[in-house]
Amino acid sequence: MRVPLGWLASFIALPASQDELEAKLTSAGLEIQQVIQTGPDISALQVGRVLHCERHPNADRLFLCRVDLGGDEPLEIVCGASNVAAGQFVAVATHGALLPGGLRIKRSKIRGVVSNGMICSERELGLGDEHDGILVLDGAPTPGAKLSQVLNVMETVFDIEITPNRGDLVSMHGIAREVRALFGGALRLPECQPEETEREATSAMAVSIQAPQDCHRYLGRVLCGVQVAPSPDWLQRRLEAAGLRSINNAVDATNLVMLEFGQPLHAFDLDKLRSPLCVRRAEPGETLRTLDGEARALEPEDLLIADAAGPQALAGVMGGAASEVSDNSVNLLLESAHFAPACVRRSARRLGLSSDASYRFERGVDPDGQARALDRAARLITELAGGEVLRGHIASEGAPAKTPPLEIPLDAARLRRLLGVELSEQEIIRLLACVEVQARSAPAESGTRILCQPPRYRSDLLDFEDLAEEVARIYGYDAIPATLPSATPAGVSRPQRHATRDAVKASLVASGLIEVMTAPWISERELDDLRLPADDPARRSLKLQNPVHSGRPLLRTQLVSALLRVAEQNLNRQVEQVRLFECGRVFHACAAEPDALPEEPLQAVALLAGAGSPGLWRENHAPLFFRIKGIAERLLEELGQPLPFRAGSAPPFLHPAASGVFELGGQSAIAVGELHPECLAAFALDTPVALAVIGLDRLDAVRQPQQTYQVVSRHPSVQRDLALLFDRELPAAELLAAIRQQAGAILASVEVFDRYEGLGVPEGRVSLAFRLLFQHTERTLTDAEVTKALQRILQFLSKNFDAEQRLAGESAASQGGGG
Amino acid sequence: MPPEAPALDAILSEARAAIQHAATAQQLTEVRAGFLGRRGTLAAKLRNIGQLPPETRGAAGQAANEAKETIERLVEKRRRELEQAKLRHNLEERRMDVTLPGAAAARGHLHPVSRIEAEMCAFFNGLGYSVEDGPEVESDWNNFGALNFPDDHPARDLQDTFFVEGGERVLRTHTSPVQIRAMTRLEPPFRFIVPGRVYRHDHDPTHYPMFHQLEGFCVGADVSFGDLKGTLYAFARHLFGQQAKLRFRAHYFPFTEPSAEMDVRRGSGAWLEWGGCGMIHPTVLRNCEIDPSLWQGFAFGMALDRAAMIRFGIPNIQLLFEGDQRVLEQF
Repeated sequence: MRVPLGWLASFIALPASQDELEAKLTSAGLEIQQVIQTGPDISALQVGRVLHCERHPNADRLFLCRVDLGGDEPLEIVCGASNVAAGQFVAVATHGALLPGGLRIKRSKIRGVVSNGMICSERELGLGDEHDGILVLDGAPTPGAKLSQVLNVMETVFDIEITPNRGDLVSMHGIAREVRALFGGALRLPECQPEETEREATSAMAVSIQAPQDCHRYLGRVLCGVQVAPSPDWLQRRLEAAGLRSINNAVDATNLVMLEFGQPLHAFDLDKLRSPLCVRRAEPGETLRTLDGEARALEPEDLLIADAAGPQALAGVMGGAASEVSDNSVNLLLESAHFAPACVRRSARRLGLSSDASYRFERGVDPDGQARALDRAARLITELAGGEVLRGHIASEGAPAKTPPLEIPLDAARLRRLLGVELSEQEIIRLLACVEVQARSAPAESGTRILCQPPRYRSDLLDFEDLAEEVARIYGYDAIPATLPSATPAGVSRPQRHATRDAVKASLVASGLIEVMTAPWISERELDDLRLPADDPARRSLKLQNPVHSGRPLLRTQLVSALLRVAEQNLNRQVEQVRLFECGRVFHACAAEPDALPEEPLQAVALLAGAGSPGLWRENHAPLFFRIKGIAERLLEELGQPLPFRAGSAPPFLHPAASGVFELGGQSAIAVGELHPECLAAFALDTPVALAVIGLDRLDAVRQPQQTYQVVSRHPSVQRDLALLFDRELPAAELLAAIRQQAGAILASVEVFDRYEGLGVPEGRVSLAFRLLFQHTERTLTDAEVTKALQRILQFLSKNFDAEQRLAGESAASQGGGG
Repeated sequence: MPPEAPALDAILSEARAAIQHAATAQQLTEVRAGFLGRRGTLAAKLRNIGQLPPETRGAAGQAANEAKETIERLVEKRRRELEQAKLRHNLEERRMDVTLPGAAAARGHLHPVSRIEAEMCAFFNGLGYSVEDGPEVESDWNNFGALNFPDDHPARDLQDTFFVEGGERVLRTHTSPVQIRAMTRLEPPFRFIVPGRVYRHDHDPTHYPMFHQLEGFCVGADVSFGDLKGTLYAFARHLFGQQAKLRFRAHYFPFTEPSAEMDVRRGSGAWLEWGGCGMIHPTVLRNCEIDPSLWQGFAFGMALDRAAMIRFGIPNIQLLFEGDQRVLEQF
């Protein structure tokens, strides 16, 4: 809410320091979001008194004035305005002063006479278009005083955030009460009572409430013979400073009073209404054209002000165009009502129609404030627009509004325990009194209780905690001593899946990947682009009612498409080697119960793309597929359990010939592969991409958090290399398995260290080189043992896999100390 | 014996030349064997000594031994020379441009938000807080109702909510629903934190429709607002340094009372809004079947993204979630 400080100061004396006001309000929960300066900057100008005025000796249309500016000597100023005269109080800009328009005044010679400044017109002050004559100030201000103190045109405005529980603060009156709670002082409220005619208002209009739960009170006043016209400058400026647009004097008066007291008002053109008025719910099919010109289809949840002809206003939200006050209106009906917050909120939300009135009604207005605001507005309108006020209110009462309880017990010991601060009973009572909570001590069975009665406008004060907050707020949160909870529970726990997730993330980072986080919005099209069949779990998507991008209304069911998008963007930004991963939840609607909460499996996807330029020291020249596979293998190794790998059977977005899965219990735990060529095209990628899709929840079962020591042999190992020719279609994994099986327990490790086809290798064959390491845990192996094992392997491979020996290297390495 | 002396001298000078001529350790070993080995020249001489007349045998033996020692000394000297030469050569030959860059494997990076989350969790684990978790698509009740958000109340506008089609489901607007789930399960006293992803329909340089929160809850017989302040002071100093200052402002949240917002200030900088906190509202305790006349406690929450932005000086939250490798490689 925008609070012009000058306006606020008319309700209560403000502290001298604006910083202190800002700090204390902010600390008490009225956060100053912005400090705004409004109006023309006339801070450099002064009040002057024209002592003497005569014709300029060298110019017919100019005057030479001697102006008193409070100094020892009056200044000589040349002035061209025909209305300047001795005795006037005027606005003066002296040498060096900056006018609101940006012009800096300089001493200058005008037709041979030195002029020491300028006497200003309204236009030069930024106050209006009047420039024929100078501005003559009212009254007798002190010469030399700051013009800004005399002309109330500059205003500092606090833009204050009002929390939704504090409907009582959405007015100058409310803010002034808060200032009084924090700084003390006395409130000054504007005069409200209007002069009334003999004629009764009820003779002109009647009202009845037919929805007593939705409308607690409906009051009206009738004004006759008003002259609707533009508002005077002060009123326009005041409304503009508070962020409202000026419309005409009648409507502006209702808005001004709303800002003063927080009570929304509405003015009808009385002559457009047919008595009686009725406050009721809308009937099916009814419509209303609101002030903004929109035709609104009404529903039975909407509360209306209707006359004999039909709907005239949407209660608490907006008036109707048909009974709008226009320049031709003469007789007015002013409305001041109390509508139920939830009722106003429902209509305002459904129609997407938030107004200053609905904002206040939703937050709850003072249940006792209708008559005062109504009277004040009637008085103000007759002051501004003439006319007369008919005697009395037209009135109808509904069910009583929700007000705070008459007596809330407050246990002082419990309050001390809750806040952690020692406060005496007297202190508590004093703090509560600051916010007009009447509190008194009353003896109780254990200790004493304080009985508290909140003011009726504080509908948010309902129980002990609400009062505790008031005590803390006025005492000052910063004054409460900082302590630590006394007892510490033994031991902490965390979800198992977090531990697995962190282990996976750590492993992927160790493999050189960079973590990204993407927004979880996807489209159906992306699922098509990933070639997912209709029965894939990733097709069981959830849709948002109000998505950020209408093109991506679904919650992600997989991480792949978002990561492909990110990869494409990075490649576009000329990142040469894209190496990313994301780890997060995906959302699958329950197959059995689509409207229940969805399944949220944790997934991780790692992605490599782009070859990168050959760097000076780049080491890993392995094909993309083997690099991503290596990342997956290392991950499984770090989790403590390698899983069997099976070629093929990977998801449909992977290349069928360059993909496979690490299986757990017959299901894929990690799928690795290069991206399917169709997906490359669909995601506008023109460089190979490899992916690992990691089902984190499945890996939970794999993880071996407890690792146990394996005996390290102290005896020398023997290394043997085998290079053999095989059919090129033969999977290396089968050969490795056969070697392990044939070698028996003395084989410590075997790996493929070279694969070659081409020159020197017959067509259809491939040369594979294996490095075998033999070692016994308890003794040194003999040459004969190793050779025997090697021969067994060779025989088996040539018999079962048609292996031919190509080259055989031999080297023995002695490792370990003891022997 | 006069005829023997010149023979030894000849052997010695021959050996001296050969030793000096040896260019490698291998050659030197061969030269030494040629003179001193079992079949070497000097060995042959020594074998002959036995056949000499006894009176000359002593002197000849001594001369031969001296010759042997001389050769050994020369070999050893030459060996050292060769080693020195080899070392010098090695030092010279291995000269390289050491200003070329090192050859490290590609470095991986955790996301800044993950880093902050891990750091925060570690801090609170140390204070005895367990970690709790819950779903991101939540029921309206867990996200609002149980947290004391009245129906048809403007408090619901505080958090621009994403609604999921079908059923009363929302994308959680805060991690607080996990509070409901965990507090319903746990018996007081307890304390736990909830790190997680949340969603609000909000988009500008400091807001993104998806962000991350960490909330903490501590319930006991006499856990006070003062304890809340002390805990958050310790946390702020841990995260932002000993010079960090905190400011508590009264605020409104439906699920806490008294409620506060906190601002943090590092050194002489401006106050930055950092999170919200307060004493858990008794209605929330009751909704979790905890008796508010016996138990009370505090709750706090802050945005991890914001902490990451403050810590790393990231000006726009969008930079965190665009996946630009050049950005994420910096952290």
